[in-house]
Amino acid sequence: RASSAGCCCSRAHAGSAREPLGAAVTRADAAADTEERSEGGISFEYHRYDELRKSLVSVWLQCPSISRIYTIGESFEGRELLVLEMSDSPGVHEPGEPEFKYIGNMHGNEAVGRELLIYLAQHLCNEYQRGNDTIIDLIHSTRIHIMPSMNPDGFEKAASQPGDLKDWFVGRSNAQGIDLNRNFPDLDRIVYINEKEGGANNHLLMDKKAVDENPKLAPETKAVIHWIMDIPFVLSANLHGGDVVANYPYDETRSGSTHEYSASPDDAIFKSLARAYSSFNPIMSDSSRPPCRKNDDDSSFKEGITNGGAWYSVPGGMQDFNYLSSNCFEITVELSCDKFPPEDTLKMYWDQNKNSLINYIAQIHRGVKGFVRDLQGNPISNASISVEGIDHDITSAKDGDYWRLLAPGNYKVSASAPGYLTVMKKVAVPYSPVVRVDFELESLVERQEEEKEELLDWWKMMSETLNF
Amino acid sequence: MAPRSLTPVRSLLLLVHMVALSVTRSGSMPTLPVPGGVADRTLYDRGLSEERPLQEQIAQADSVSQADPADSERLSNPKASQMDPDNDDFSLLKSLAERSRDPDNETPDAEDPEDRYFTDDSDSTKNRRLAEDYDSTKNSMDYKDQDDTESFHTVDGTPLTAEDIVRKIATKIYEEDDRGVFDRIVSKLLKLGLISESQAETLEYEVAEVLQELIAKNAKDNEVEARNSDYPASRVDEDEDVGEDPELDSDVLEIPDRKYDDEVETEDSEDGEDVVDDNWNPANEVDHREDGGSEDGLQDLQYFPNFYNLLKSLDSEEDAEERETLITIMKTLIDFVKMMVKYGTITPEEGVSYLENLDTMIAVQTKNKLGKSLMTPDVQPPTEKPSDESDNTKAEAAKMQKEYESLKDSTKDNQAVAETDNAGKSETYLEAIRRNIAWLKKHNKDANKGDYDLSKLRDFMDQQVDSYINKGILQKDEGEVIKRIYSSL
Repeated sequence: RASSAGCCCSRAHAGSAREPLGAAVTRADAAADTEERSEGGISFEYHRYDELRKSLVSVWLQCPSISRIYTIGESFEGRELLVLEMSDSPGVHEPGEPEFKYIGNMHGNEAVGRELLIYLAQHLCNEYQRGNDTIIDLIHSTRIHIMPSMNPDGFEKAASQPGDLKDWFVGRSNAQGIDLNRNFPDLDRIVYINEKEGGANNHLLMDKKAVDENPKLAPETKAVIHWIMDIPFVLSANLHGGDVVANYPYDETRSGSTHEYSASPDDAIFKSLARAYSSFNPIMSDSSRPPCRKNDDDSSFKEGITNGGAWYSVPGGMQDFNYLSSNCFEITVELSCDKFPPEDTLKMYWDQNKNSLINYIAQIHRGVKGFVRDLQGNPISNASISVEGIDHDITSAKDGDYWRLLAPGNYKVSASAPGYLTVMKKVAVPYSPVVRVDFELESLVERQEEEKEELLDWWKMMSETLNF
Repeated sequence: MAPRSLTPVRSLLLLVHMVALSVTRSGSMPTLPVPGGVADRTLYDRGLSEERPLQEQIAQADSVSQADPADSERLSNPKASQMDPDNDDFSLLKSLAERSRDPDNETPDAEDPEDRYFTDDSDSTKNRRLAEDYDSTKNSMDYKDQDDTESFHTVDGTPLTAEDIVRKIATKIYEEDDRGVFDRIVSKLLKLGLISESQAETLEYEVAEVLQELIAKNAKDNEVEARNSDYPASRVDEDEDVGEDPELDSDVLEIPDRKYDDEVETEDSEDGEDVVDDNWNPANEVDHREDGGSEDGLQDLQYFPNFYNLLKSLDSEEDAEERETLITIMKTLIDFVKMMVKYGTITPEEGVSYLENLDTMIAVQTKNKLGKSLMTPDVQPPTEKPSDESDNTKAEAAKMQKEYESLKDSTKDNQAVAETDNAGKSETYLEAIRRNIAWLKKHNKDANKGDYDLSKLRDFMDQQVDSYINKGILQKDEGEVIKRIYSSL
């Protein structure tokens, strides 16, 4: 909680009468005793930038064989946008291994997500070392990227407010006053047009180079866009505060009205993914939960999930940008009625969300996945994977690997690439685990050669028979 | 910007916080006490159980380097020093930290009562070595003729509990007939920032209770009656009225000990004080200590080149008190290490590496807090103090002292926090690295892969650290600390 000294993370300001000692020395004791303030090296308090950095470094130092810290760039005020990556070979994309990301605190005053991601990083490391098989499997089979704060500048501003009651807006935007979740190129507009008039249904970001030259984009936004372009993310969640719900695409309404259910082509799997998060959060999934504020309209919330447009229209958001510019499916999770709740509630939020956070990562192993190769076994990158009945294609990554999240059902999945003949396969997809479907594509040239061969053979045979 | 020189108070704070937080927080070993825990026994004991696993982790951590045989010998043969006068209250402090010890807790060094460093009380400070031989319990034992109430181990060597310690404090107060004992101890702890006011109060109540019991129990012998339920108000009016000079409370820490020592020796307490004062003359002390230090203490100081430099820069008169405190703290720490090595809790190599880590952190924190670099840890202990710094130190010391005084109350918490955070940061890193090492050992053992390759890990970490520094993920000093920790494994 913030004191007037402006340090909401001060250990001396434990904020709890239970801890008489100012020094952190007995904190571990007190915590072990009360289980309130820390758990296995996780201290449930707000982390300012340096403390955040320190926490991530500590996780890395404890688990250097499965983690790595990197930065995707700097905020406007020069703070690093830090990411902690966890996988069995950090720094490396293993072919076939899906990539996951969590992004928190893009609104600087929505603080719970930031903290939960720090706790999550430590927790994953601890559990891995404790031999927790679920976590070990998850880390071995997934590459997990955790960015606790996309807007560290905003957070500092919000955290510097004295007292527990933080303003609804102070610290929300970045240091330039830009609301990062309205700052992404608006690809929804384009896809809505394409739906009507025909056109691409995926990878709609026209000019990637123009991103850097676009003066309207905040440095944080640019950094994230590059990040999305560089790494073949499959599944993602973006953590917010101010309400309690799991929100899925599309965020921007088709008609432009303020509230309208705007389903994406992948509405079915998105609902399933959102439910996968909310169902493990007792508050979020409680359908009889009263709204956060008396006059809130939460009529669109069902079982703890909501379509974005049905709740309220959000243009230029990061969630839809992911879906429409890349292969990544992202949902938005609102974690707390209070955007910046008192520090002593953080442990409670961790308890509420811990299982959701882990279970949501595991959703990445659903649907179909595999490799697209040519007949010689060489990977074909940027091949298109289409699913009949779903007007949204995804593409294969550099090693020819692809991951197509799908709700349970029977599907016809096709792989195609320029210069190759399309191959279609029928697949029955369960809830889980993921079904492995590989494609071997024959190039057109090869087919032509083949046909020519056949023709010659036939001619030869005819000649011999007819004695030409 | 922080003053360039090492100011006494700041270095004191620095060291204390670093020590208290680093050492205890990581649980690397019990350190100067946390008597707040006395109030809540379960809390207190649980702290032990938290520390212990980490001690085991230290025990598990590979130490590649072989300990210098002389060093290990030094570690394992704590010598008896005539530090009783200085040690007395510190033995208490130390014991408060050594809550539960190995059962094999026989009187330390009962079998090794070497006295070569101290010919007599009056000279002891002059000859006193910095990092050597501060085994208070042992001294107490020797000196007090194995008296149970004076030592902080039970006679049969079983570990003390919190209750025991409270009882011993109470007993001592009772026997000395001097509430000042308690005040001295508590004021030191408060001054060092190791306990809070409320914890001091709690301790006081605890001691008061026990003291009352004692008094009641011995009422018939001592013909003392009607004790006030309010401890502070009740002074035991004994036959032996010590009449301690209250001024000593705020002075150099060892004085009360010495005084106590003198009393038992039936010296006149006033004389004892005078002797003490003379002996505590900073100028003399500095000269003698340096002589003694550089000759006798070289062996020890090679583990503390940074600390040694820190002390050297505290050469002004105002710094004397702080210097003494620092010395005492370090000696206590070293004693702990020696004891742990002696009892087999850790190997000598681990003890050495712990001390080296400590020294590293001194360097790091000194640099952080005071903007001054001590010598690099690899260098031999210096043979002369840097003369240009001494002038700075004096001028700055006075300034800092004033600044400190004015700031002390209002910003104590913030200062504590800032330093806590800084020290805590290194400690957190140390803790995290230890966890990794522990896991590696266990992991490799389980998988029967044999020992993990420490040098490869170290190289890898060094590389990563450099890369992180370049990218702005780690600060340079943090990187150094991490590398150093790894290199000491």
